[in-house]
Amino acid sequence: MSDNVIIRTENLCKYYGDKIHALHNVTAEIQRGEVVVIIGPSGSGKSTFLRSLNLLETATSGKVFFEDVDITDPKVNINIHRQKMGMVFQQFNLFPHMTVLKNLTLAPMKLKKMSKADAEEMALTLLDRVGLKDRADAYPSQLSGGQKQRVAIVRALCMSPEVMLFDEPTSALDPEMVGEVLAVMKDLAKEGMTMVCVTHEMGFAKEVADRVIFMYDGEIEEVGTPDEIFNNPQSPKTPQFLKSIL
Amino acid sequence: MTVLTFAKWIVGAPAWIASLPEGLQRLIFQFYQVFIYENRWKFFTDGLATTFIVTIGALLIGVVIGMIVALIRSTHDNQMRKPNIILRILNSICKIYVTVLRGTPLMVQLLIMGFVVMVPKTSFQTTLCAIITLGINSGAYVAEIARSGIMSINAGQMEAGRSLGLNYAQTMWHIILPQAFKNILPALGNELIALLKETSLVTVIALQDVTKAAQVIVSKAYTAVIPYISLALIYLVLVMILTKLLGILERRLRKSER
Repeated sequence: MSDNVIIRTENLCKYYGDKIHALHNVTAEIQRGEVVVIIGPSGSGKSTFLRSLNLLETATSGKVFFEDVDITDPKVNINIHRQKMGMVFQQFNLFPHMTVLKNLTLAPMKLKKMSKADAEEMALTLLDRVGLKDRADAYPSQLSGGQKQRVAIVRALCMSPEVMLFDEPTSALDPEMVGEVLAVMKDLAKEGMTMVCVTHEMGFAKEVADRVIFMYDGEIEEVGTPDEIFNNPQSPKTPQFLKSIL
Repeated sequence: MTVLTFAKWIVGAPAWIASLPEGLQRLIFQFYQVFIYENRWKFFTDGLATTFIVTIGALLIGVVIGMIVALIRSTHDNQMRKPNIILRILNSICKIYVTVLRGTPLMVQLLIMGFVVMVPKTSFQTTLCAIITLGINSGAYVAEIARSGIMSINAGQMEAGRSLGLNYAQTMWHIILPQAFKNILPALGNELIALLKETSLVTVIALQDVTKAAQVIVSKAYTAVIPYISLALIYLVLVMILTKLLGILERRLRKSER
């Protein structure tokens, strides 16, 4: 196993009851510094797979290794590992009772024991990079969807994560706001952040992804570079899916 | 102790009263008899103090018990895997507690605590008995209110907190509970108002609250109208003040949502 692997899953399965499976024997690797985009029809298990990487979803069987630690082992303190795995949600999930700045500084102050001044300084620097420094004192309800999602990305970044997980980050946005969020994600990718991203934005996948995973019916149907997946797919289901979303 | 009669009182009354029509004179006499004669207003103020102490004490106990029960119940219900045995036992205890306390009348609970379980001797013990009984009773209602508040928060909030690395308790405390509290404030206010009025039942364990005070005055003055109407007005004013205060608190907490 190469040192460069940051997340590895082994035969991940998730069953609801006996018959319905959301995931079936999913084995995959994420390399450090890599941008992996997961695509697939709805119900194919791509979100379930992403959410089981930081154990928001507990798999029925199988293992998830993060930095060579089996985090599915119940003896492992998952909270420590989650600090290094930032996550961005479809519905943003900002904390509505806190200002933007508080949203950003809560976790660093509680978990990294940062001083308030240090945490705020870092938060404001990061906010500035996504162009929202002037909204630091606003409440989430006062922001547009695109702004909320940019704040949510910064919130995850404030923990200085090793990897960022994106769960359909642009699906809940108005079309005109998709661009601003994707731009932030592209910048992150350029800086060498390891990213795993479930999305329907094929443009983003083509442009930014190092590898694309195509999931179908709870299994990984095909993995390849964007060029391989989009221009020379091996599975007949891949072009079928790609055609359906155009 | 002699009973003051109207005839006796009117002789010694100030001259301006004597010039009023007789109906008005009798009304003023009743007020005099109920509030001023032998400093009877002190029954009301002493009773009010007891009512306040019992309400506040029961509120504190009720909120603490209610929060604990609500946290146990919602933690149990939120488990993705099968909850461990301790949590399952605690959850069952909480369920039984809520069922029993909501399923029996408060009056009966007071009688049982007052004459079977605690059997208080001094007035301090009686006050304590009332606070504990009302607190335990109120806790069952607060528990269900608080649980509904916790359940009302989108699951995404818990996920967002956990994804940052906060543990369950930290996420509850910093993220879920502040939002839940805001949502349940109107219901909690309702419970507080109900609690204040229910303290009037403590008369059955012979506690001298404001209701008991009115009863005592009725028995001394041989008139029921003024004491009981005044008693009703006292509760009404208290509830109106409480409603006002809760409204202010609610508006403050809602600020972030504009």
